[in-house]
Amino acid sequence: MTLAASGRRHARPADTAAPLLDVSELQIELITDAGVVRAVDGVSFRIERGETVTIIGESGSGKSTTAMGVLGLLPADLAVLSGAVRFGGTDVVADPAAIRAVRGRTVSLIPQDPMTALSPVHTIGRQLTEAVRLRRPELPRRAVRERAAELLDQVRIPRPAAQLATYPHQLSGGMLQRVLIAIALAGEPELLVADEPTSALDVTVQAGILDILLELQERTRIGILMITHDLGVARLVSDRIHVMRDGRFVESGEVEAIVEAPANDYTRMLLSAVPRLGPWDEGAAAGGPTSGESR
Amino acid sequence: MALYLLRRVGQSLLTVFLTVSTVFVLIRLAPGDPATAYAGPLATTEELARIRAELGLDRPLPEQFLVFLRGLATGDLGTSYSFQAPALDVVLDRLPFTITLAVAAILLTTAVAVPLGVWMARRADTTRELGANIVTVAGQSMPDFWSGVMLLTFFAVLLPVLPASGFATWGGLVLPATTIAILQIALISRLVRREMAANLTAPYLTVARSRGVSERALVWRYAMGNSAIPVLTALGTRFASMVNGVVVVEVVFAWPGVGSLVVRALETRDYPLIQATVLVTAALAILVQLLIDLAYPLFDPRVRLGKKAAA
Repeated sequence: MTLAASGRRHARPADTAAPLLDVSELQIELITDAGVVRAVDGVSFRIERGETVTIIGESGSGKSTTAMGVLGLLPADLAVLSGAVRFGGTDVVADPAAIRAVRGRTVSLIPQDPMTALSPVHTIGRQLTEAVRLRRPELPRRAVRERAAELLDQVRIPRPAAQLATYPHQLSGGMLQRVLIAIALAGEPELLVADEPTSALDVTVQAGILDILLELQERTRIGILMITHDLGVARLVSDRIHVMRDGRFVESGEVEAIVEAPANDYTRMLLSAVPRLGPWDEGAAAGGPTSGESR
Repeated sequence: MALYLLRRVGQSLLTVFLTVSTVFVLIRLAPGDPATAYAGPLATTEELARIRAELGLDRPLPEQFLVFLRGLATGDLGTSYSFQAPALDVVLDRLPFTITLAVAAILLTTAVAVPLGVWMARRADTTRELGANIVTVAGQSMPDFWSGVMLLTFFAVLLPVLPASGFATWGGLVLPATTIAILQIALISRLVRREMAANLTAPYLTVARSRGVSERALVWRYAMGNSAIPVLTALGTRFASMVNGVVVVEVVFAWPGVGSLVVRALETRDYPLIQATVLVTAALAILVQLLIDLAYPLFDPRVRLGKKAAA
């Protein structure tokens, strides 16, 4: 799986010095009431500038745990990490305190459920300007608000300056997810971790959100780690995908290669779970099962 | 908003009126006779009858009630039997003491319970939290007449650093306020802990942490901002009940407030004084509750908009 063969974009040699994110042999054990569960069992992947890497799998496969572990957002007393997670050379597993300098600057999170991801008693302006100030403490108050409105405009929110005064419960899920992307972008990150960013949204809204992310990547060459259970999403946005099951990657490679010729039974099963609609099955028909029904 | 306020004030006046009316009837149904209490155990039957006639107690209950209502309309709540002064004035003279004690107790409660609750929430389910849990359960279990007497024994008798009774100096405020606060701290800190523990694990907090918000801001701005409503409600309700007079504590520390006045009024069957006390404290409690309800929108935007839509 060489980078240059990527379908949508081409990584330039200059970017390959140190990857944005380099995860190697990451293992995450969760302490639960039922005992210790190895949720992530030795996964390795890299993300370069301008590249989207997708981890796809069903619920409980460990994909979200991987994302949260990479960001150091698992509760310290309930999760044990080993292996290495390097952001441009800094290993945050070896030095967990270092993640604080990375979060909101080098890497930002786009959460799964936008409806619960913002504080309900603070305006979106308050939460957005806070993110701007964290990144640019030197900006005067007025410039912070201008920057916040500009970020909302970037994610195509109408009347951005007026929206700053609204509270989360006044906006729809799709609008909130745009706000959350704007907040993530306030940190001017090099990498976005998108944890099922569209799974809580209507299909029509999903497309808009993915469109914003793709356009953003086109413009800024930001790296994206996409977590999803939706093969349609994966196929649309990814350069490479890793199919995850029971804490391991069962298959990794370029998106078209995997969709056209899945080597693993589990991957075939995931592919067959996609409803067969329109031009979708042209590629999948070659190697996938003939039935469009989910199992 | 104006309509809402008008409706609330109307409701409040009705509540106060019903409370006072109920008390008016109940104290007359209860055993005991003001005339006996007034004239002493050696009074003759004729003397008692004369006193009853003087106080208007020989007339039928509905007539007494009408007289009371007529007075109420003009702000005259009768003359206290034992103080020989207008009952309302007697109560209003005592009120500043009770309010001082209530304010001191609620400030002390807030100052201790909120940080303690936050401390426990941040260490939820650890052994160190268990220690704090034991202390707060103990605080909840101590009756105020006992903890009051214990504080008196230690800090006024064995180690005489604080005055034992009355309100001659500000030092006199310490022991009664602490006695009240012990139970309230135990209750409020556990409430703060529960609310904060829920908010500290909420998704929005994780997302805020992911964008580099400091732990301090996460705890005090985000989690506390979202815990404010239930905590504020609890503190307000506690305060409203404190301005009613904390009877036991006021008696233990001979505090010259409304609480100890109630005890004296009941002992002497001083009907006008009992009625005046109930009227004043009920009105005050309802006023405090109204102020808290009006403060909600400052803390929760969802309440604000709901109200706007309703009005």
